[in-house]
Amino acid sequence: MAGILIKNAFVIDPLSGIKGEVMDIAIKNGKIVEEEPPGAEVIDAGGCLTLPGGIDSHSHVCGTKVNFGRYMSPEDMRAGRTARKGVMHVTSGYSVPTTFGNSYRYSTMGYTTILEGAMAPLEARHTHEEFNATPHQDMLANTLFDGNWSIMEAVREKDIARAAAVVAWVLAAAKGFAIKLTNPGGTEAWGWGEDVQSIHDPVPRFGVTPAEIISTMIRANEILNLPHSVHLHCNNLGVPGNYQTTLDTIDLAPDLNSKRQSLYLTHVQFHSYGGSTWRDICSKSEDITRAVNNRPQVVMDMGQIMFGRTTTMTADGPMEFKLYMLHHNKWSNHDVELETGSGIIPVYYGRKSLVNCVMWSIGLELALLTRNPWQCLLSTDSPNGAPFVKYPEIIALLMSRRFRENERRMIDPRTEHFVPLFAIERELDWYEIAVMTRAAQAKALGITCIGKGYMAPGAEADVAIFPIMPDKVDPSVDFQQVMAGFSRTRYTIKRGRVVARDGEVVVEGANSTIWTKAHVPDAYDMSLDPEFQKKFEQYYTVRMSNYPVQDVYLPRGVRIDTEAQL
Amino acid sequence: MNFLLNTGRTIAQGSTVERKNSTKYCEEASAVSMNPVDMFELMVEQGDRVRVKSRAGEVVMWVRPDPGLVRGKVFVCLGPYANHLVGPETHGTGMPDFKSTPVSIEPTDDPVPSVAMLMRECGGVPYED
Amino acid sequence: MKIEDVVCPFCGCLCDDLVVEVEGTRVVNVENGCTLANEKFMGDHRLKAPIRRAGNGWEAVSYDEAIEETAAILLDADRPLLYGWSGTYGEAQSVGVHLAELLGAVIDNTSTVCHGPSIMAIQEVGHPGCTLGQVKNRADVVVYWAANPIEAHPRHMSRYTTFCDGFFVKSAFRERKVVVVDVRETDSSQVADEFVKVNPGGDYAVLSALRAIVRGKRDLIPPSVEGVSREQLFRVADLCMSAKFGAIFFGVGLTMAQGKNKNIRNAIELTEELNRHTKFTISPMRGHWNVYGSNEVFTWITGYPYAVDFARGIAFYNPGETTSVDILRRGECDACLVVASDPGAHFPRACAEHLARIPTVQIDPHVNATTHLSRIQIPVAVTGIDAEGTAYRMDGVPIRTRRLFYGNYPDDLEVLEKIYRIVREARG
Repeated sequence: MAGILIKNAFVIDPLSGIKGEVMDIAIKNGKIVEEEPPGAEVIDAGGCLTLPGGIDSHSHVCGTKVNFGRYMSPEDMRAGRTARKGVMHVTSGYSVPTTFGNSYRYSTMGYTTILEGAMAPLEARHTHEEFNATPHQDMLANTLFDGNWSIMEAVREKDIARAAAVVAWVLAAAKGFAIKLTNPGGTEAWGWGEDVQSIHDPVPRFGVTPAEIISTMIRANEILNLPHSVHLHCNNLGVPGNYQTTLDTIDLAPDLNSKRQSLYLTHVQFHSYGGSTWRDICSKSEDITRAVNNRPQVVMDMGQIMFGRTTTMTADGPMEFKLYMLHHNKWSNHDVELETGSGIIPVYYGRKSLVNCVMWSIGLELALLTRNPWQCLLSTDSPNGAPFVKYPEIIALLMSRRFRENERRMIDPRTEHFVPLFAIERELDWYEIAVMTRAAQAKALGITCIGKGYMAPGAEADVAIFPIMPDKVDPSVDFQQVMAGFSRTRYTIKRGRVVARDGEVVVEGANSTIWTKAHVPDAYDMSLDPEFQKKFEQYYTVRMSNYPVQDVYLPRGVRIDTEAQL
Repeated sequence: MNFLLNTGRTIAQGSTVERKNSTKYCEEASAVSMNPVDMFELMVEQGDRVRVKSRAGEVVMWVRPDPGLVRGKVFVCLGPYANHLVGPETHGTGMPDFKSTPVSIEPTDDPVPSVAMLMRECGGVPYED
Repeated sequence: MKIEDVVCPFCGCLCDDLVVEVEGTRVVNVENGCTLANEKFMGDHRLKAPIRRAGNGWEAVSYDEAIEETAAILLDADRPLLYGWSGTYGEAQSVGVHLAELLGAVIDNTSTVCHGPSIMAIQEVGHPGCTLGQVKNRADVVVYWAANPIEAHPRHMSRYTTFCDGFFVKSAFRERKVVVVDVRETDSSQVADEFVKVNPGGDYAVLSALRAIVRGKRDLIPPSVEGVSREQLFRVADLCMSAKFGAIFFGVGLTMAQGKNKNIRNAIELTEELNRHTKFTISPMRGHWNVYGSNEVFTWITGYPYAVDFARGIAFYNPGETTSVDILRRGECDACLVVASDPGAHFPRACAEHLARIPTVQIDPHVNATTHLSRIQIPVAVTGIDAEGTAYRMDGVPIRTRRLFYGNYPDDLEVLEKIYRIVREARG
């Protein structure tokens, strides 16, 4: 490959300290390089906005529950379908697109890396199979530990080292990337049809609390030196008054790592509700952002909802049942032995629903009230708040107060009594958007070490060129142009290759799967531990030797090795 | 006599499913199980041959008693013999009425055909391995 | 050589604790397996080489020739049907779906005559389920509805339910109640604590009666519902409502009987109602080995679990129209590729007749009923014995099978990829 030279690019590259400069970018052998490679293909960016490839740090795109969302929803499959065209396969689905659908749509929006938000280790092989059918993004998997029996037993024994050892073994077995806790303790309780109501509620029959699980795992995570922090979906998702649980959780977070946060809170919009019922639900975004603004050790993503139809899916089984009791549409649930749970229901977020309008406002407020954009990342918890194709609209809302005022006239007029949104004047700028959609994700996930999220020489050549001229567009006024621009790149370049142009994918992809291997001393090798082996002998229904995901499922695996301090 | 035909899996069917030209498979797939009282009324004994007819077709099978079946119901394991009788209508579900085909049964001296012969009746060419 | 933790390639239980002894290219002993597993592993009745129909007889043909002719048949067809897939592994299924996409074909798997109606019901009301270990460790009530596991899934009861101790159920035999609902007595009904005998076609009414009881409307129940006494209905409902964790497993006795998908819908809605009182799950007893895997693979590529029609360029799905039995019944397809299943034996006669009329090609290790209807058969390695790949257990847990030895047969993936390459060359 001769390489590529991108000329006249309006570059914002926050991790490299570039805040908007017209410059050239040279690419060779999949990397950004100093010198123009001889014979390079020249792409004239013509002053267009050029950013590192987008990174989604929390999206549901691959695996058991995602596929079940498709399986149970032919109505959603019909709602977004394209025929085979050129190198592009057939796609189906609007809120839960098929794997190729996800990959093409993300790619045409400039995204080159995606973290799947929840993977049950027992079913990890499924996630990896779908990763291989999502060819245009490098993939990472959050690995679920919220109801893991071995973890809860270690927590009960106050044995952080053992918890770390369990994490190390399971991550390596599942080829997972990071620790995910979804409603910690709650998913185990749901095995009996129960839930936990606060971070100090004991988990039935295990005698540990969510707070103990969270605290232990934060420390185990640092013992293992994992690239990412604990990735937490707090308890009490979607419950009026749950902001107190979220604040209590934030209080648990120590500051243990100088390079990144020690706790990542996901889809915080769903966890920022005041009031006590659906009638008096109100925004507590100010309380939440005040706490986050005071704690650099915490990073969150928005979990923005957008109006329209979507599908909710999460490992938080009890929450989905509660939601089903409100919506009475259709409900799927899938508990995973010794590990976690999951649930799926379709929903419709309406402008005429006051509750939905409050939720919509809260997500935007979180982004606008968090002072440091590195601490609040753009997400919809796709597809829970909205499918990811809504990101450009969210960007436009964050950049334009006028756009927000337009929306204000279309939503339930009572909304403003329950939310501070319309008093907020802040309009985010290009730099802040670049932070919130790629640079901060790379930093929070800890993947700058493998060249993700920036465009300095040595970095992976993942680049997105948008048909937006930052010096000619006033996002505050031209929000339609902002939306259109972020919806379709002129060029998406992945590892040095143009993969999408003007809304069409132009090559067959070959992604990588990024996973973490924490090396532990032999004394902490759980595969040799009799108690751990007993879990497989007696309680799992899959043999220990058949449990780990074989290498064949990661044809282009990228392993991040860490040394545990044990 | 009229019956309602039910079909389903059996261990013997499953055990021989990869040897469909074998007599063992043929024996299991062509057995029609019947309540002993019905057998008495039909004047047949275990191993006797019967002609089973439905709207879709007819086929010769052999009888075996099953006191677990209520009178008026017969059972044949899933396979080409049962499917010689099941109609292709799916009522918009993709699924034929495998569990409820009305059939009439009468004693016969005709032989039970092999699977290959049944497929020849469908227009195929028997392959003998 | 003894190989441990071998995955059984027969039914949807995917038992993965077998110990198989191999000598050269032959299995000589199987431990821990059921009768079906033993027959599967020890069976030595494979078709030796590809065959092609020649007039009123058959002739041997090379793999290359058989593959080229298969591709030519598919390329020549206006409306090809690609059917089967349950007996093979995910990687091969995936190539099958892409082949169908390229051809504008219909692709369907064996759920079409198995749990297709369950899928239709799930698409209406969802599916509250769980992995099998959840049942093993927690369930104090297990209901088998219109299923006969002892014959169809012989180790289901000993690995996951009736006879299997778990973490919270230390003595399954004492602490776990088993209910069997069926239209006839079976070996399974004989081990039940409670056998509910329903009139054929009466399942829907019995499910409705149980739902009414769970909703507190006992006074509506007549003395007998489809052969089941009111007292027994009350007893079963009380047993379910007082369970700490209940699990319903249902078989094709519900999907194939009158009512079909509506029976399943009613069973799922009963499960949902029980969840307002306690914890309850429901799961289909998937029969043919990796049939659930074919649903998974079809879904992530096309959006639909079975019966996918690519004729319009997009993926189109309408069970009752794009399902195999209906397409064959209408005499609609003009070529058929059968992979890893036996529609000749398992479809109604009228469908078999159409398969005989059109050029049908079968890719399968064994001679079966479809062989006689085909123009060409290409024997392949047996998945789980001399071929390996991914399979999905009936509860969605993916397991990689083991290859026990390298034999002389190509595997499904290799043959399908060759066909795909020829078709792709021709169609671009």
